[in-house]
Amino acid sequence: MQDELRADGFETFQVIAVAIDGNVDAIRSFAADVSFPVLIDAGHLLTELYAVSNVPTVLLIDEDDRIAMPNWSAYGTDTFSEFTGVSADRQHDRIRRWVREGDAGISEDEARAAVGDLTADEEAARLHFRLAVALQERQDADGAERHFVRAASLAPHDWTIRRAMMPLRGEDPFGQGFFDLYQEWLDDGSPYHGLSGY
Amino acid sequence: MLERVLGWTLKPEGLCRDEVCVLVPDRLRLETENGIDLEVFGELVDRPVMVDREAGLTAVGAPREQRRAALRDLQAPDFALPDLDGGVTALSDHRSKKRLLVAFSSW
Repeated sequence: MQDELRADGFETFQVIAVAIDGNVDAIRSFAADVSFPVLIDAGHLLTELYAVSNVPTVLLIDEDDRIAMPNWSAYGTDTFSEFTGVSADRQHDRIRRWVREGDAGISEDEARAAVGDLTADEEAARLHFRLAVALQERQDADGAERHFVRAASLAPHDWTIRRAMMPLRGEDPFGQGFFDLYQEWLDDGSPYHGLSGY
Repeated sequence: MLERVLGWTLKPEGLCRDEVCVLVPDRLRLETENGIDLEVFGELVDRPVMVDREAGLTAVGAPREQRRAALRDLQAPDFALPDLDGGVTALSDHRSKKRLLVAFSSW
């Protein structure tokens, strides 16, 4: 999309990808041959600064550093649209319209109301997650596990905590644990810090 | 440490960073015999702090006000992170552009 819009004369359109993930090799294979910067956020800074609770999430940020579209559940392809009822095409059309015409399709009031602030527990969960990652790097598996458990109990519906820790704890993030987590999240009303089904 | 990592300096008038100083009502709580108490520091500058004393490790979160400004005023907080090319990329490296920020993962 960046190449297409730039070819159309919108040369100042810039995609910036941020991997909420410390697995650099996996990210590198995802991001082979892309023409935009790919950042590695192993410590989950972005999820703290922008109250992101799941990925993929996109944000639109304008020339004046204003958030034109806050956390917006993203659909790179239509793989998940059966689940969500939202097509990737519709989202891509909205992004194109914003780049071309400056209309993100959402009022400032809606944008302001879209993302609830992190709770104190969700904030603390991010710090526990960060400590767990740091302790893993020190080969302190018990210490890391203590903080992973604490993070999960403080932010049970946050995918950037619960699912992100699965591979770090030797669990398959696409296995049964994921489906159990998905059901748990649905049962609790699909909480998300941002716009989904939009 | 306080200055090098977190950007704050303890001065007679308080904890200072750039032009801003935060008054420190109880210096003895902040400056202990073991150095600066980071939990007290976090309270003073409104940053979350988590201390693991057993591991001797502390995590200091981002200033809460940055996130609240993003949510309330729709002002995008800047950040800088390592990139796949071995450098560091900041949101502000691309200022004055329309930016599509994509958070993704391999999990």
